[in-house]
Amino acid sequence: MSWRRIAAVVRRILRQFVRDRRTLALLFVVPVVILSAFYFLLRGGGETPRVGVVVQDRGALGAAVAQKLERSALVQATPLDERTAAAQVHDSTLAGYVLLPPSFTADVLQTHVVAPRVHLEGSQPGPSQTVLAAVAQASAAALSGTLPAGAVPRVEPAVAYEYGGAGLDTLDYFGAAFIGLVVFFLVYVITSVSFLRERSQGTLERLFASPLRRGEIVVGYMLGFSLVALVQAAVVLCFALYALHIHNAGNVLLIFLLELLLVLTAVNLGIFLSSFARTEFQAVQFIPLVIVPQVLLSGVVVPVSTEPHWMQGLSHALPPTYAVDGLRDVMIKGADLGWPSVQLDAAVVLAFGAALVLAATATLRRQAV
Amino acid sequence: MGVAEYAVEVAGAVKSFGRLRVLDGVELRTRRGEIYGLLGPNGAGKTTLIRALLGMVRLDAGTVRVLDTPMPDLGVLGRVGYMTQALALYPDLSVEENLRFFAALHGRGGDVDAALHLVELEDRRRSVVATLSGGMRTRASLACAVVHRPALLLLDEPTVGIDPQLRAQLWDSFHAMSAAGTSILVSSHVMDEAERCDRLGLLRAGRLLAEGTAAELTARAGSTRLEDAFLRLSAEGA
Repeated sequence: MSWRRIAAVVRRILRQFVRDRRTLALLFVVPVVILSAFYFLLRGGGETPRVGVVVQDRGALGAAVAQKLERSALVQATPLDERTAAAQVHDSTLAGYVLLPPSFTADVLQTHVVAPRVHLEGSQPGPSQTVLAAVAQASAAALSGTLPAGAVPRVEPAVAYEYGGAGLDTLDYFGAAFIGLVVFFLVYVITSVSFLRERSQGTLERLFASPLRRGEIVVGYMLGFSLVALVQAAVVLCFALYALHIHNAGNVLLIFLLELLLVLTAVNLGIFLSSFARTEFQAVQFIPLVIVPQVLLSGVVVPVSTEPHWMQGLSHALPPTYAVDGLRDVMIKGADLGWPSVQLDAAVVLAFGAALVLAATATLRRQAV
Repeated sequence: MGVAEYAVEVAGAVKSFGRLRVLDGVELRTRRGEIYGLLGPNGAGKTTLIRALLGMVRLDAGTVRVLDTPMPDLGVLGRVGYMTQALALYPDLSVEENLRFFAALHGRGGDVDAALHLVELEDRRRSVVATLSGGMRTRASLACAVVHRPALLLLDEPTVGIDPQLRAQLWDSFHAMSAAGTSILVSSHVMDEAERCDRLGLLRAGRLLAEGTAAELTARAGSTRLEDAFLRLSAEGA
């Protein structure tokens, strides 16, 4: 073994790295960006879940629990009447509401069991857990010194779910989002690499030497890849629903429609970004730069509503956010196309797809400038 | 209106990429049905000129007409065939599938059988391109350029890197197409191919230094070999 030859190889590799700015960015900038995204998502001081507090109890304990909840750092609690609270949970404005029934104080003093009624929105596990933790904390704090000496109180909230339910596990919550994101990711990779290959093997130049218009190339690619991607989406969906038994309360065709819209976006994103890459390797480099942040900010890790405000703006500028929201609405909440939120999600993803068709066509240059 | 005399007309073509002037006032006309050889060293501007003929390069100054049509014009590209320096084939498709695809792009059914016959690949029509030898792929690439029976064929260094036997085969194909009325413009930096052309243009540093038949150019330079003529004319033009 010759160390001189090994050193030559090492020197050459380092020299290539220094010349390849994209790879340098990938190595040093992307990890910082992704870790920062995680930091802001998980520890960034975003909004805490909003909770309604319905106090029907006239005793001291109901008022004390309500007061502790309103002062809780875990949630933003607001006094509401039951009807308003129920409506706001239904439209997902609230993560849940806590109802302290008329006999609340009397029941606690008699049974030593604290049983507030907690009605959770339930479509995402994070906020639901936070609400339950806040209720337990507030109840325990309100009880201190209230019960006779030696009495051990138990906090046993009666939990009901607007959507989903206690039977839903983590996969049920994440599955709805992953169905869309897996297809989005793979379709993007396949399209961008295929389009790059069209450039590198010279066939794109031959296409440009024919009467084929740029828009025809983009639409042809979009339709061709979308047909394949639709089969993929169908396989993913069927596997998720019928093999993995991921919870679905909605219409399967509507899920498929949302996937289709996301596929159209991914295909055109692939064509568009391939214009900025010269090799297939560079196209793949866009994954951590472009795709990973989109996935992180889509609401799949942390609900968009609990992200820091500036980050919510970014999330709302990215198409997967709307697809994830729509898929969760359909699969967990059982939403249909009559829901304004689903209409909005579908329309926004469609608009992103259409904008990317135009962007892909515009960046596909027939002429050298 | 009769058919125009020229297949390609370039007038005052200027093109720079940044500070590099690649075409510097090129004047060039090729007649219908002739094989015109665009000779020049690497970097002379041959590929840029061919791409300008196809409307793929926007000239800074000057005009280009192809088959009597000012370029860029997508419509006329249906009557133009182009063989790039790269093979420009889909390796996962068969030879015939590649041909049918490129024929469809040009808006005509094309004549797949005639194209395969021309390049002698009839027996490999169902072969996937990736399984073909280098020479066969080059022939398949030519077939894709002619499958729609173009009136004008632009060949960008089609014989680079291929063996003498295949080169002779390709030139036989070019002559057969020329005899059938196809106008051909072929770029090359290989001088021994020049004598196979009806007329030649010597391109160097973006300028057309001389034009004429091989005999005319050698006579003008006072040399017996075309290569010497090219070097002498280049020196005069520098």
